[in-house]
Amino acid sequence: MAALPRRIIKETQRLMQEPVPGISAVPDDTNARYFHVIVTGPEDSPFEGGLFKLELFLPEDYPMSAPKVRFITKIYHPNIDRLGRICLDILKDKWSPALQIRTVLLSIQALLSAPNPDDPLANDVAELWKVNESEAIRNAKEWTRRYAMDN
Amino acid sequence: MSFWFNLVKDVFLRMLQLLSFSRRKISNSLSIYIKTNTGSTLSVELDPKWDIKNLKEIVAPQMGIAPEDIKIIFAGKELHNSIIIEECDLGQQSILHAVRTPHKIVNKTRNTDLIEESISETSDLNDSSGSKPMNETLMDLSLDESNLENLSLKEQQENRAHFYVYCSAPCKNVTAGKLRVKCARCGSGAVTVDRDPQCWPDVLQPRRITVNCESDFCPVTSSMHKDETESQVSYAHFYFKCAKHPSLGENDEAVPLYLVKPNLRNIPCLACTDIRETVLVFPCEAGHVTCLDCFREYCTVRLHERRFEFDEEYYTLPCPAGCPNSYIREVHHFHLLGVEQYERYQRFSTEEHVLRAGGILCPRPDCGMGIIPPSIEDDRECRRIQCIGGCGYVFCRICLQGYHVGECESQMSDASTSVFSSNYYSVDPLKANQATWDEASKKTIQTSTKPCPKCRTPTERDGGCMHMVCTRAGCGYHWCWVCQTEWTRDCMGNHWFG
Repeated sequence: MAALPRRIIKETQRLMQEPVPGISAVPDDTNARYFHVIVTGPEDSPFEGGLFKLELFLPEDYPMSAPKVRFITKIYHPNIDRLGRICLDILKDKWSPALQIRTVLLSIQALLSAPNPDDPLANDVAELWKVNESEAIRNAKEWTRRYAMDN
Repeated sequence: MSFWFNLVKDVFLRMLQLLSFSRRKISNSLSIYIKTNTGSTLSVELDPKWDIKNLKEIVAPQMGIAPEDIKIIFAGKELHNSIIIEECDLGQQSILHAVRTPHKIVNKTRNTDLIEESISETSDLNDSSGSKPMNETLMDLSLDESNLENLSLKEQQENRAHFYVYCSAPCKNVTAGKLRVKCARCGSGAVTVDRDPQCWPDVLQPRRITVNCESDFCPVTSSMHKDETESQVSYAHFYFKCAKHPSLGENDEAVPLYLVKPNLRNIPCLACTDIRETVLVFPCEAGHVTCLDCFREYCTVRLHERRFEFDEEYYTLPCPAGCPNSYIREVHHFHLLGVEQYERYQRFSTEEHVLRAGGILCPRPDCGMGIIPPSIEDDRECRRIQCIGGCGYVFCRICLQGYHVGECESQMSDASTSVFSSNYYSVDPLKANQATWDEASKKTIQTSTKPCPKCRTPTERDGGCMHMVCTRAGCGYHWCWVCQTEWTRDCMGNHWFG
């Protein structure tokens, strides 16, 4: 494997030394480009109290290409599909090498605080979120309790 | 043997020649040309340790005047006597200009009356003291017109200008560059600038800095005594030379890569965060900085994805942080990518320009000739396109398959064989189909892509949601992978993730 770019080393060091509150990102023992990420559900959101596992991978041409991020823990969220894929513009065409792992994870955390059913929606989840928000929030809380706690 | 003899003789003669000019010994000679304002050129060998006074002593006898009557001009500055040659960033075969100082010469008779007139009138704009060479005084140029105010001497030293250029021949590379100046009117280098350029617009835009042209052949100089109107002012024309190879004459110029700068302020690269010696500063308001390695990588990735964009007629890239108004307008900067990638850049750029002008690229593999067909008036007539000047292929404008009569077939399956339908030999059409050169890639493209509903570019979906954004330059259409129409709220609600 090619040597790890200094930027990745630096970012990793900084993530370890000054972790973002509510987010932990640890590189895999065997692959420094693969991160095990845990995001805590933000307060005052249906995901409060949950610990959400994600995987984050830095592709070969990072930081020119966006990191690939996916939820591993099941989550009831209008902007995340059942395979954990996130439709976030900064992970696609709005990616810029000026962004970092840190900023990506913060954006994902912010997405949990502010589900956006009016813009990009995920089929049934989004539908319900729009039609009956209280029920959708109940579902989200239930899924959080069931999949994102005590693990 | 005779070769060696000649060589030794040559060297010996040259030594003699030089010794006759001066009693000094030349340790490390620099061969340069001196152009006089009368149009003649002298070739001289110099010791870099000499000063300008020594140079004048050498030139004076050849010009037939006293050394103190000579003014030496280089890169827009008159050089004063105490300047050491090696401080002037002269290269081998550089050209210096020697002109007569005006006040001493008024009474001398010359053959051309033109000269007398010019000389008597150039007055005291430059007193004989001269100044330091441009490379000593010039500050690092800012991209805009903001001023570098009151820098200390140390800061001035540190801010000494460095230039990078693309040398198209013979170096074919990005090299260090040297700023030079000539008269915008007559092209002579015998000019002194009225002030140093302070920012890039001073250098790149015409008519910003005035010069005093000392050439006898300049229309301005010769007519100055008659009519000193505004229109008679001479302006500086700045240009660059490659510092890596000996000058190949006055027309040996190089393109300045003005976004490339020495990293005097130790700014970390936006992408890799390293602090590197040389950086590229994007023309956005923030002036975002990338190191040259990251710049190359940024461009290469965007080139792979064919995601360069049009900024007016420039096929280029913006600042990687996505800033507004940050496009690179001097596309020679992409020479930083190296020969191979630059050629690719040029090809893509040409193709995109053809497509943007309503043109078509010949669909034949390994051809790709750009064709600008007449506008569609009679649909039937204009559908037949022949690749003239290229491979000669005749194809249908709409489906880009071999030309056919009647409706286009929706899929390309048989099209490749129908071109050659008048085959003499009878071939099993099934086998012939399998044996075509690019059948496999056609199949792959056919099965793995869908065309953008707007520009028909075959598009691959490699994960993510159904919301597609066409990345072809100038298209940018938002469409739905499932419906193959414009992306709508219904698509979001029904099958955003499939």
